[in-house]
Amino acid sequence: MIHPNLLNRLCHARDLLRTCEAAPLSVHEVARQSGFSCFHFIRLFKAVFGETPHQYQVQAQIEKAKQLLILTDSSVTEVCMAVGLSSLGSFSALFSRRVGMSPSAFQQRYRPAPGEPRQLPPSLIPGCFSLMGNTLMK
Amino acid sequence: MKIKLNSIFVDNQDKALAFYTDVLGFKKCNDIPLGEFRWLTVTSPDGHPDVELVFEPNANPAAKTYQEALFAQGIPITAFEVDDIDAEVKRLKQHDVRFTMDATDAGTVKLAIFADTCGNLIQIYQLVRG
Repeated sequence: MIHPNLLNRLCHARDLLRTCEAAPLSVHEVARQSGFSCFHFIRLFKAVFGETPHQYQVQAQIEKAKQLLILTDSSVTEVCMAVGLSSLGSFSALFSRRVGMSPSAFQQRYRPAPGEPRQLPPSLIPGCFSLMGNTLMK
Repeated sequence: MKIKLNSIFVDNQDKALAFYTDVLGFKKCNDIPLGEFRWLTVTSPDGHPDVELVFEPNANPAAKTYQEALFAQGIPITAFEVDDIDAEVKRLKQHDVRFTMDATDAGTVKLAIFADTCGNLIQIYQLVRG
């Protein structure tokens, strides 16, 4: 059973994995800092959150990249570095696979025009039950 | 006016559909693709056929904050009723579902809490006949 203390450590580990910086922590390091053996950590994390720590970290990098591409003037290369990936080629391939379009296509599609407020478009942050409205319109 | 939809935030709709159908045993009701997301609902074969559970993407940062704060505090986001909680807990554990509370007597109900793999804690409860 997951006691409150264990739940706290798990949430702390999740926060560490999501911290996207130029040099992200390895899964091994996150496990150590949260007081888990690496094997136990990966198994527990997967059972609780439905994906491995590595998968969670990559998804967090993609989400962060999406935000930076829309909300800042950073180039694709700068975004790649900012989320802790060093190879532009593998970043673009990973992003395309997960998001369905390249980082530059994503940027062109969703970045507001100059002078417009820098915010995430409603299509990327659906509100409560707003999706249902779209189904009824179709 | 009637209660027809109940919604929970999930961090990934694919994961939610897999867990709630394959592990919990709910049945897919609506699955309509809409751009980045889907209008995705399930129903319970054991419950009222007209009530749907909606899986809402937690893409809105406010939704994510809400979901993660409740999870970290150990608070379940919703509750489902079961007939035999001990059997249900045992069955779910065989699927490697992790519990933050094992089946526990709480007066008029016996309850347990588990992680739904989508960022939520879910309570299940059995009514205790007095």
